[in-house]
Amino acid sequence: MQLSTGNERLDKMIQGGRTLLSGLLPIGYEEEQSIGAAIALQVVARYGGVYDQPDLTRYVNLVGRAVALTCDRPDIPYHFAVLTSDSINAFAAPAGYVFVTRGLLKQTRNEAELAAVLGHEIAHVSQKHILEVIQRSKQIAGVSEAGLAYANRNPDAFKGIIDAAVKTLLDDGLDQEKELEGDRLGEVFAARAGYDPTAYVSLLTRLRTLKGDDKAFFKTHPNFSARINAVQEVIQTHGWKPTGVLLEDRFTRVRGKI
Amino acid sequence: MQRHSRLVTPLVTLLFLSLYLLTAVALAETVFVQSKTAKLRSGKTSLDSVVADLKFGEPLEVLNKEGSWLEVRTARGAKGWIFAGKTTPTKPSGSEDDVLALLGKSFRRTEAGDVTASVGARGLDKVSEGYANRAGITQRDRDAVDRMATYRITDQEVEDFLKSGGLGEYAK
Repeated sequence: MQLSTGNERLDKMIQGGRTLLSGLLPIGYEEEQSIGAAIALQVVARYGGVYDQPDLTRYVNLVGRAVALTCDRPDIPYHFAVLTSDSINAFAAPAGYVFVTRGLLKQTRNEAELAAVLGHEIAHVSQKHILEVIQRSKQIAGVSEAGLAYANRNPDAFKGIIDAAVKTLLDDGLDQEKELEGDRLGEVFAARAGYDPTAYVSLLTRLRTLKGDDKAFFKTHPNFSARINAVQEVIQTHGWKPTGVLLEDRFTRVRGKI
Repeated sequence: MQRHSRLVTPLVTLLFLSLYLLTAVALAETVFVQSKTAKLRSGKTSLDSVVADLKFGEPLEVLNKEGSWLEVRTARGAKGWIFAGKTTPTKPSGSEDDVLALLGKSFRRTEAGDVTASVGARGLDKVSEGYANRAGITQRDRDAVDRMATYRITDQEVEDFLKSGGLGEYAK
């Protein structure tokens, strides 16, 4: 609803103030849902579509939801899907969209490892890492708002903001520190859910053996040694020991469907 | 002199009492619920009956610790046990507490009158559909994201999944 003072100049000043204030405020959840869905569309399009195997989809959603229950932002819905791609990767988009590729699932040996991978992506959502990128790119572009009304009025500019975020997420990578934060928090979330806290180190070590460490295999992530160190620091800080809660059997039951 | 000492004794007692009370307050440990769903139970196993369902971020006064369980009292006075893995010593920063984001949301809502969005899971909306059109996203991929966003699993199903895996409070 737009209220008018009857004075055109004053109305313009008020509207200008609203726009400026709107741009300075953090992105709200409604906007986050639109932004998240738009980014999710690009992730799906670029990674060969969603691999729709009902048992696998349900299993990944159950593991993801179990981990998300104890994350730092459990009060929004999280959605999980498997990407058809054979590349080894996982992604998150705002508003709780989390993806893992078939390639990464094939390298995973048990449910605890999968929980840590999903925990890392959930951390990107809970810490609003991608929304920060969008907020920054808005400021750089001099766009003082990216609200829903703005997206409706300026769909091309909205597309520009989303495309820039997708480029950061899929091509250039987030800040290395944000990736390490994702590892640290993902480790904590999976351990809180009850999984063996040493599982993530096992997976990262296996991937380092597979892909080497000289150049970052995930060009969008820090090298594996740095990531393993970050996770081991968390384990030491909490004084965690191996618990053996890996749930290999449950994972093996869906493995044939990958 | 005698009159003076008669005054000293109650003063010293009062001083010690004050110190005791202050120490007791300082030692009272508070933790917060760090889970979307958490149950306060009558005993320290997942088989014990549920006394109350706790909310994310709810403060709990710690009365006792045994193994992976804490005996706690809620602000409403309910007493029981909670699995320690569902608590945190610092107040969690969920999006409910993000006052600025809420402010931004309500502020923008006034200027986005034509948008009907509900908080909760939803598929593609007008804005993301518009993006899909401009970016040339195929119908197959739109349907996939829509299915993903509207995929339903209840909290009870997640709880049953944790139980069958012996996870968290259901650890064997």
